[in-house]
Amino acid sequence: MRLYTKLTLFAVAATIVVLGLFVWQLPLLMQKIASGNTNKNLIQQREKALSAIQKNGIDYYFQGDSAYGSYSMLKDEYISLEPYYTGADLTRLQTAERIIDGDTINYRILIDTFAMQQHVYLLEIGKKITSIQEDSVALQRATISVLIVLTLIMALIQLFYTRYLLKPLASIIRNRLIKKSFPFREPQRALTTSTYDFRYLDDSIAQLMQQVNHAFEKEKEFTSNASHELMTPISIMQSKIENMLTDPELPAGTVLKLEDTMRIMKRLKKVVNALLLISRIENEQYNRNDVVAVKSMIREVLEELQHRADEKALTVEERLTDGVILYHVNRDLLFQLFYNLIHNAIRYNRPNGRIIISDRYVNQEYLLCIEDTGIGIEAPQHERIFDRFKKSTSQREGFGLGLSIVKSIADYQRIGITLHSEPDRGSQFELHFPATHLTK
Amino acid sequence: MRVLIVEDEQSLATEIETALQKNHFLCDTAHSAKEALDRTDTGSYDFILLDIGLPDKDGFWLLQEIRKDHSETVIIMLTARGEVEDRIRGLDMGADDYLAKPFSLLELQSRMQAIIRRKFKLHDQQLTLGAFTIHVKNRTIHYEETEIFLSRKEFDLLNYLLLHKNRPLSRMQLSDHLWGDNADDEYDSNYIDVHIKNIRKKLNAYADTEWLETIRGIGYKIRTDA
Repeated sequence: MRLYTKLTLFAVAATIVVLGLFVWQLPLLMQKIASGNTNKNLIQQREKALSAIQKNGIDYYFQGDSAYGSYSMLKDEYISLEPYYTGADLTRLQTAERIIDGDTINYRILIDTFAMQQHVYLLEIGKKITSIQEDSVALQRATISVLIVLTLIMALIQLFYTRYLLKPLASIIRNRLIKKSFPFREPQRALTTSTYDFRYLDDSIAQLMQQVNHAFEKEKEFTSNASHELMTPISIMQSKIENMLTDPELPAGTVLKLEDTMRIMKRLKKVVNALLLISRIENEQYNRNDVVAVKSMIREVLEELQHRADEKALTVEERLTDGVILYHVNRDLLFQLFYNLIHNAIRYNRPNGRIIISDRYVNQEYLLCIEDTGIGIEAPQHERIFDRFKKSTSQREGFGLGLSIVKSIADYQRIGITLHSEPDRGSQFELHFPATHLTK
Repeated sequence: MRVLIVEDEQSLATEIETALQKNHFLCDTAHSAKEALDRTDTGSYDFILLDIGLPDKDGFWLLQEIRKDHSETVIIMLTARGEVEDRIRGLDMGADDYLAKPFSLLELQSRMQAIIRRKFKLHDQQLTLGAFTIHVKNRTIHYEETEIFLSRKEFDLLNYLLLHKNRPLSRMQLSDHLWGDNADDEYDSNYIDVHIKNIRKKLNAYADTEWLETIRGIGYKIRTDA
């Protein structure tokens, strides 16, 4: 999951959780506030009532009755006053039912006793509970709406800011990491951001890339130099022997020895050449713009190798589709690829064996298959045959580079290779040409 | 023919010189770009064999410098780098041919011979071999009016021996030429015998081929008096 998605999801989830918690706890909270408020209110009203009683005198309220009571028209509030005889001082807040005019109503009540003119009186001030609750519900609704709007705004701000903040990271990923194929050729522009971490990351990656490039260039240079250094002495030796061989006075024995030396030198030259070829392919020194007609190229290869197939009395069956054209390949490399595979099919075949070269289309891929009836390759070796200088135990000759070259060429041109092989039954190399090789 | 060998590796230059002198070329050597320019300023050459890796100047630069004043001279690039783009670049800059080190002296001489044939229109020439006539350009061989069919490799082999006539060529030299870098030492060398056997068989049906000699233990040679 992308960082931005994760952060977004987290922001949304956190907001929902916090909001939910708040909404869940809100009625309780509101009730607490409302009841606290009511209590305060009732206490204030008691003060007012007491001061009024003080001012007007108690008899003003009783007017000969034994108690005094008054309530508002909707019975939201009431006040009652009566003499109190039971002795103990009593001040408390409570919620209780009262019957007023035949209606039983829940009130929040302040009960207080006070003394006046040697008598103790009981004062009750009540406030209707439903009216408190109604107030609180209205308040809750308003609070929730405001809160939701605020949360949404916050979330949006957060999302946009996260996005803005992460932009440099996205650009690092896009420019430095995705679509980067080695070697990194184009010069890199430094990232413009005020976030230190991203700048550090970007600088570090750029530095790493530079180091890799540098190492790569060094290696390329080394290959080039090494080849020069190796090829020149080989060249001189070869020329010297060649000149010696033109001497007609030379005894036959010496000639043969010189020929042998030449042969060994040729082997040396072949190994160096093969290594150079692989290194050149890996350094991408070959173009990939050639157009190749498969059938005629395979025929060319077969012609080159015909004499070897004849000597082993092999039957070569070429069953290729007419007119298959491959694009975006390198002619020379492709020739080498076919050559090495067919050469192996001949070299490791049994006398009177067969070689079948066929093709087909599978899932928009062009499949070319080279099959032989040779010694085959044991399953544990399948992975290793493309490695340099590795020889299978049954392989008696070769430089161990032929299939490495095949692999390098195939990789370079994005051609897939699969191998099916059984010892003593034969091997089958399949080349997979993706759709990109089938269109211009 | 005058040849200038521009090669900083002295011993290689000497070997090339030795080989070419045996073929009656007149050779001068230069071991640096400066020396090469001094030589070309004062003398005129039919061939310049130019090593790309010179100590003082880039071989490509030298190639262009020489080309400015010597448009007729045949220039063959020699290089150990053998990189594809070098090859293309060299040919684009006016080199006539290109040989990657290590090359065989025989191959160098063949290339030079081929260029000479082309240059002096010897291409169309009909060559006589005993009772046969060979047309190099059309790649055909006739006995009187009858064309004898040879496979591509067989013709190449015959042609190569003819190019280096009166000189014994070893099986390996021949297989090197026929199969190039793909030659498989022992195997192809021995296969030369099969090709020679086939050539003899095909030609012997018309006339004898004693001009195609086997040099015991070494290889073959075409002997002509001309």
